[in-house]
Order: sequence, then structure tokens, then C-alpha cells
Amino acid sequence: MKFGIYLPPKAETGKCPVLYWLSGLTCTEQNFITKAGFHQAAAEHGLIVVAPDTSPRGCNIEGEDESWDFGTGAGFYVDATEDPWKTNYRMYSYIKDELPKLINANFPTDPERMSIFGHSMGGHGALILALKNPGKYKSVSAFAPICNPIQCEWGKKALGGYLGSDVSKWEAYDATQLVKSYPNSHLDILIDQGKDDQFLSAGQLLPDNFIAACTEQKIPVVFRLQQGYDHSYFFIATFINDHIKHHAKYLNA
Amino acid sequence: MSSRSGSTREYETSDRSPGLSAFPPVPESSESEAEGLIFYHMDLYGSKERFDIFPKELTGQEDRSRGDTRKESALSSEKFQCSQEAEYDLEKEVAELAKMYGLDEDREKELELLGGHLEMVESRWPPARTEKAGSQGSGGGLSSSGMSDEWNSQAASEEEAADVFCSTCKMPIRAFDKLFGEHKDHEVAQLPSAVESEKEEIHKNMCKLEEQIAQVENFASHLEEIFITVEENFGRQEQNFEVHYNDAVQVLAQKYEEQLEALGEEKRQKLEALYGQLVSCGEHLDTCKELTDATQELYLENDKANFMKAAVTMVDRLEEFLKKEVDLELSTLPDFEERVIDFSEVEQLMNSINTIPAPCAPVINPQAPNTATGTSLRVCWGLFSDDTVECYQLCYKPVSNERSSDEQAEHTLKVKETYCTITNLFPNTQYEFWVSALNASGISPPSERTVYVTAPSPPTIKNKKIRSCENAALVCWESRDINPVDSYTVELSKLTDEENGDTITESIVGIPNCEVLIHLQPTQSYRICIRALNLGGSSERSEPVLIHTTGTYFCLNEDTAHPLLAILDDGFTIACDELENPECDLPVYDNSFTRCIGILGSLIPFPGKHYWEVEVEEDTEYRIGVAFENTPRHGYLGANNSSWCMRHIITPSRHKYEFLHSGMTPDIRITIPPTRIGILLDYENCRLSFFNADIAQHLYAFNSHFQHYVHPCFALETPGILRIHTGIAIPPWTALP
Repeated sequence: MKFGIYLPPKAETGKCPVLYWLSGLTCTEQNFITKAGFHQAAAEHGLIVVAPDTSPRGCNIEGEDESWDFGTGAGFYVDATEDPWKTNYRMYSYIKDELPKLINANFPTDPERMSIFGHSMGGHGALILALKNPGKYKSVSAFAPICNPIQCEWGKKALGGYLGSDVSKWEAYDATQLVKSYPNSHLDILIDQGKDDQFLSAGQLLPDNFIAACTEQKIPVVFRLQQGYDHSYFFIATFINDHIKHHAKYLNA
Repeated sequence: MSSRSGSTREYETSDRSPGLSAFPPVPESSESEAEGLIFYHMDLYGSKERFDIFPKELTGQEDRSRGDTRKESALSSEKFQCSQEAEYDLEKEVAELAKMYGLDEDREKELELLGGHLEMVESRWPPARTEKAGSQGSGGGLSSSGMSDEWNSQAASEEEAADVFCSTCKMPIRAFDKLFGEHKDHEVAQLPSAVESEKEEIHKNMCKLEEQIAQVENFASHLEEIFITVEENFGRQEQNFEVHYNDAVQVLAQKYEEQLEALGEEKRQKLEALYGQLVSCGEHLDTCKELTDATQELYLENDKANFMKAAVTMVDRLEEFLKKEVDLELSTLPDFEERVIDFSEVEQLMNSINTIPAPCAPVINPQAPNTATGTSLRVCWGLFSDDTVECYQLCYKPVSNERSSDEQAEHTLKVKETYCTITNLFPNTQYEFWVSALNASGISPPSERTVYVTAPSPPTIKNKKIRSCENAALVCWESRDINPVDSYTVELSKLTDEENGDTITESIVGIPNCEVLIHLQPTQSYRICIRALNLGGSSERSEPVLIHTTGTYFCLNEDTAHPLLAILDDGFTIACDELENPECDLPVYDNSFTRCIGILGSLIPFPGKHYWEVEVEEDTEYRIGVAFENTPRHGYLGANNSSWCMRHIITPSRHKYEFLHSGMTPDIRITIPPTRIGILLDYENCRLSFFNADIAQHLYAFNSHFQHYVHPCFALETPGILRIHTGIAIPPWTALP
């Protein structure tokens, strides 16, 4: 498994918090590192940024490369329970345990301080990791996250494929569902969404459901609908600084 | 002197006489340069004196040692003498000159030394040279040419030699002379250095002279002053004498008249008495004689009876007459009565001449700074004469513009000293004072009236208008006096735990207005007092105010409040009960919002960060943010480019939050309706941020370079209340983003 990592100047002299970035469908560890332009803000706030890949690669599982929204590049940050995926496709555990262990063992990190954010499928991953592990992440944010996968085509396909047909099992990886059982623990969520995002209008992202759930559960979310932006990395690059600051506020508190 | 004037003549004629114009002009030596000034100067007086200086050198070397000034004065006296001799017999001079020139070799040498001057002379009269050639030609060409050769060689050697100065003889010499001449054993110096030192010496003397001039000038002006003073003083005394002696003479004359009159009267009385006595004596004698005659006649009577008859009558008559005592006492004495003449009046008059008249008028000093309090003044005056003064009479009254109050009580005090402290006055009030000096002889005229002013009364700090932040405070106050004060002083003391508030840690002086921005340290408590100052002094301290530099503190500007907006008693809760007033026509002030039910706060105009919070009910619709002071009052906050607002409205489906500037808002959804909104105004980072203060959630930030200082603004869109909280330390979680 490859990952991209950015070490700020501060890491040369001391331990730094780690901010995990989860990329979207079809992405590798390279996309964010290459395109997001987060480095200046991360350097300024002294954050190590780790960008893992979006799925195992080259597992030689039949059908893994058949479609762009399932299998390779589409791990969906779940631990698969169905064959043939359940051996390799354990992205949830990878992000939650294996990767941090590896990072903390090899880089000057402060293991107590970590946050998570992501884009699209990665946004979904960030939200569920934060919501399923209260207190583990100091903060969470997302760009155009898939907020309610059990309700959208992408989610139904992936979750069905990795977890089987029992929809109730899916809810364990659905942010909007997870909010409903989230304990009274502080979590400040920032979400940016391009208003001209074709996947928003296609009903793949469903942020309103998530917001409604958060409103009901009194989970603080600032959701910014950015006029004129789509689903691309230009959108991410525009608002990446706000997100870095959002995390820095909690990681450096 | 005689030898000098003689030689003067001798050279002068050399110009006029063609025979002597062959006299070799020698190139100017440095010495002649030094004398050039005098040379030129003398030119004005005719050629005669032109050479006056040379003989002086030739004949009397001692003269040179005299000071320049003396030399000059000697010359100027000569000038006079010489000009008188100008009409001298030329012929005689020529003869003398010829004799001297022809005979005396040494003299010739000396003359050569002075060639420089001669050259100048010659150059001024070029025709003399041509004439010289002609006349010489007739006399003998050889001698002429020989002469000029000699002159040439001599001139050359002179040029070389004039480089040493003999300090002993005080004259320039040729180096040759040092070796062999009379200067052999003398101390010599190089001419340039000698010139330098001589110049230096002259310069020193000049300086001394200048000093002396300054001194003497000073002294002269001092003398002038004394002169005037003496004139004045003596003139005054003369007048004084005149008046007093006239008085005394008058009194004496009067006394004389009185005495004379009394004497005459006495004389008359005495004479009258004596005369009366004399008359009565005469009468007595007559009676006696008559009786004697009658008695003698009786003796001659032969008739006995007749005799007896007559004798009885006669005896009775005689008895009766002799019974009367004859008064032989002088009724009056010839000498006049001793009179006691009363000179006491004259004596007094005479004495008063010596005890000086009534004193001169004193002069009141202008008011000295810091001599007044709000209710007292210290007045000083002086007497610029030696008059004897027993005490002073000080009068004062308040200066008033109103005519009618001219009769305001004038106060009069008797004071021994030349100062007085007057109490029980009104603050910041002008009083005019005048003073007279008194002694036994009387009272002086009053001094000029001088106005003193009492110190102001302490100002009143406008508690409700105090604004502060972490690093500064803006304090306003008002003067309680009608008259303006000169300036104000702010005294601030930092309050420590020991509560030692009396130590003034800082004073800010010379504040012209009733407002000051004070730089302070964060998270401290300060006690601030104001004093008002005028010429007279400073007032007592104002009532102190306490300022805490924790967070930003501001107050609401009631003038800007919309008529339907009420400010509750705490001053920080604003309420709106109804959106429209049925009775309409509420008072609208010039500065108040007319459409938006809003109000502005008065934020301290100070850079840095300012934080405040607004407590709202979940269902209250409001606009809160910042605005320029001059934001349009007829528009809605956030609808223009002079205000930045967070707006909350309730739509059928949800709480809607807008972040408005110029009527534009981003599309932002907030899952938890904030009930305590934190607003952070950060001038340094050009940012205005809104937070859900309860959960430290950042909601939105405007990025704007505020062109001017802004003020907090608050508005209600539906009936409800907003509670504003100030003086809150900036929470750390506002630092990012």
C-alpha cells in the first residue's frame, strides 16, 4: 500500500499532529499531494499530512478493475465482509489502525493528535471514521462528501458488494445513520460543497440528509454551499486552506 | 617727532622733484605689505604723510614695539600736524633731502628697505619717471645708468634676504645680516613664521579689544540706565522738596502774619492802657493843683466868717480827695509777653520731607502657575521703590461681563506681606486685584488691575461613554465650569492585588479636549482620574473610574437607536416589542436608524482585536455585525458596503443564516442554531469572524480591509431581545481559523 506524506518544517525539530486525507473514487495517493496545494497552510500550522491510497491494488480479484466505482480505487473505507473482498478490502481498519501505527512508528508524529478529512468517497470515509470513533479524531471536515451512501447509487453498489445485501449492515458505514447514534461528544464538522457539482444534482452526495440529521442530533456542522464550484480538485484547492485551519485549530489547541 | 616730520618732507619731495625720482623703487617686502593698510589710509591726507611711517621705522625702532593702536593714534595726530605743514617751503625741503641723500650711505640703505613704498608711489606718478630720465640725461647719463644698475642688483638681493625676522630688534633683516651684521647675536625667526605669530598676536589683541568693547558698551548702557534713574529719582525728589518747602514756607508765613498781628494788638492794648493811666494822672494833678490853689486863696481870706465857712468846705473836700488812693502802679509792663509759638505743624512738614511721601503704587505680579486651587488664589506683588511701607491694602472682585454686577462686593484686605492667599472663591473664575501701599504719610495710588483665575473644578467623567479594549481606553469627560480650561491631565494608577490605588503610575498631561485615548496593558485594572488645568493651577481629581482591560468594552449609542428599539436598564439589552407602532410618529433623531430596527455600539477606535458576544433566543430574527459610523440609517444592515452582518431568519423548513455585505451572502447551513454568537473583529488580519460561542464553532469570516474604524451593530427583525456582552477576554479558540 502506497501513501503520500507531507512533513512540515516543524517536523524537523519536533513532533507534529497528523492530518489524514482520504481521496475520492479512482484516486491514488498522488492526486491530493499533487493537486490540492495544501502545503503552504500545512507548513504554516505544522501539520503532517498523510494521503493513503483509496484501495488495495493488484489483488488479482476477479472484477476488481471492472468499474471505476467499485474495486480498485473504490475501497469505500469499509472492512469488506463478502468474498472475494473480505481478505484485502479492509480500508476502514487500514485507515483507523494499520496506517497510523505505521506512520507513528516511522515519522515524528504526536499520536494523540490526529484529524481526518477527505473528498467525495474520502469525505464519506472521513465522516464515518470520525463518527464511529468518538474522540479519536480531534476534528473532521469534508469536500463534497457522500453523506448518505445507503441512499445513493454509488453507496448501494459498493456497500452491497463489500458487505452483502443486508442493508442494516450498511448503516454502520453511513454518516447520516451514524450521526443518529453519535454520543454527546464534541465534534466540529466543516463541509464544503460545490453548488454546480454534477454528483450533487445526481443525488450521489445527499448532504441535506446529513445536515438534517445533524440538526436533529445537535451535532455542529457548518455546511458551505460554494456557488460556481463543481466536484473537481480546483474546488478543493480553493478551500483547502480553510480546512487546514479548521483542523489546525483543534490539532494545535 | 621733529626728525620724523623732517624725513616725511624729505620723501614727499622725492615725488615732486625730478632729480630725486631716480630714487630706486624696491619691490614690496612683506613688511611693507603689513603696513599697507596704513599707507592706503594716509593717502587720503595727501602725499606728505604717505611716508610718515617709514621714518618712524628708520629713526625710532622702539616705535615698532609699541602697540598698533598706539601707532595709529600717533599717526592720526601727525596727520593733523602734517597737513598744516603741507604748504611748507618746498625749496628748503629739497635742499635738506638732497643733503641727506647725497651724504649718508647708511641712510641710503635704509631708504632702500622702504623701496616697496616708493615703488607704489612711483607707479602712481608715472610721469615722474619719464621726467627723471630727461633731467638725469642733462646731469650725466652715466650716473643715471649706474644708479639703475645698482638699484636692480640691490632689489634682487633684497628679495632674497627679506626672509628673516630679528626678534630682538623687531625688524625684518636679511639672512646675511644674521651672519655678519649687527644682528649676529640676535634671536631670529623665519619671516613667514614671524608674520604668522605676529598676526596671531594681532588677532589676540583684536579679540581682547572686542571683548573690551563689549564690556565698555555694556557698562555704557548700564551707565545710561543709571543716568536716567538718577535723573528721574532726583527730579522726583526735587518736586517733592518743592512741594514740601512751599508748604512749610506758607505755613511759616501764616505763622508770621499771625504773630505780627498778635504783637500789634498787644502793643496797642499796652499803649492804650498807659495812655489812660497818663490821662488819669494828669487829671489827678489838675485836681491837686486846683485844690492847692483854692487852699492858698483861702489863706488870703481875711474875713473870719467867710474863712471858716470856706475852710470847712475845703477841709471836707481835701479829706475826701486825700481819702482816694492815688494809683501809682504801672498798669502794664513795657516788655511784650512771652509767646509760645507753635511750630509743630512746620516741624511735621519738615519731618515729612525726610520720611518720604506716601509710597509709590505697587505692581501686582502676573499669576504664577500652580498657585491657585478651585477656591483660593495666592496673589503676589512688589514695590519697585525704596518707599517705606507699613502695610498694603489689597482689593479684589470677580471679573464680570455684566454691567449690573459692577457693584458686586469689592473685598479689601490689609496685608503686611507682599503676598496674600485669598480663600472662599469660586472655581475657574477670574478675579481682578489691585493693591495700594500705605505708610504714615498716606496711601499710594492703586496698582494696575491684574486678573487672576482660580483653578477649575474637577471634571466629571462620562461613565457611560467609556470604551476600552485590551490595550487602550477612550475616556470622555465634561467640565463643570462655564469658563474654558486650558488642558486636562489624566492620572492613571494600575491596581494591583495590594489595592494600592494611590500610586499614580502614569500621568498624561496637556490634553486639549474632553477626550483621550490611553494606551494600557492587557488584563489589568486601572483607576483613572482627570484633573482640569488652567493658568492658576489644577483642579482636584475627578471621581475615579475603574477600567478593566479584559476584552473589549463598549456601550450602545442611544442616538442611533430606531424608535421602536428599547434599551433596557442594564444598557446592554435591546428589545423590540412590536414592529409597527399604531400611534406612529415616534420621535426620530437625526442619527437614528429609520428602517432597520437597529442600533450602533460605540467601539473604541483602536487597532487590534475586539471580541463581544450576543445572546439570542433561537427564534429571534436579527442582524448583528459591524458597520461604519456613517452607514446609511434608512437601509438595512448588511445591505450596503458599509456594514457586515450575520442575519438569522426562520424559514418554514429551517433556520437560515446569512452573512451579508453589500446585500450578498454565501450559502451556508448551520446545524446548531447558535444562541450565543461570538463576534471577533480583527483589524490586523482584516477579518470579521462569527462563532457559535457555546461550542466554539467557527461559523463564518468576512475578509475585509476596513477603511475606517467600525462599530458593532445590532438589529431585530422580529419582536425579541438581544443581550450584548462586552468585556470578555478573547477566547483562544477564535485564534483559528
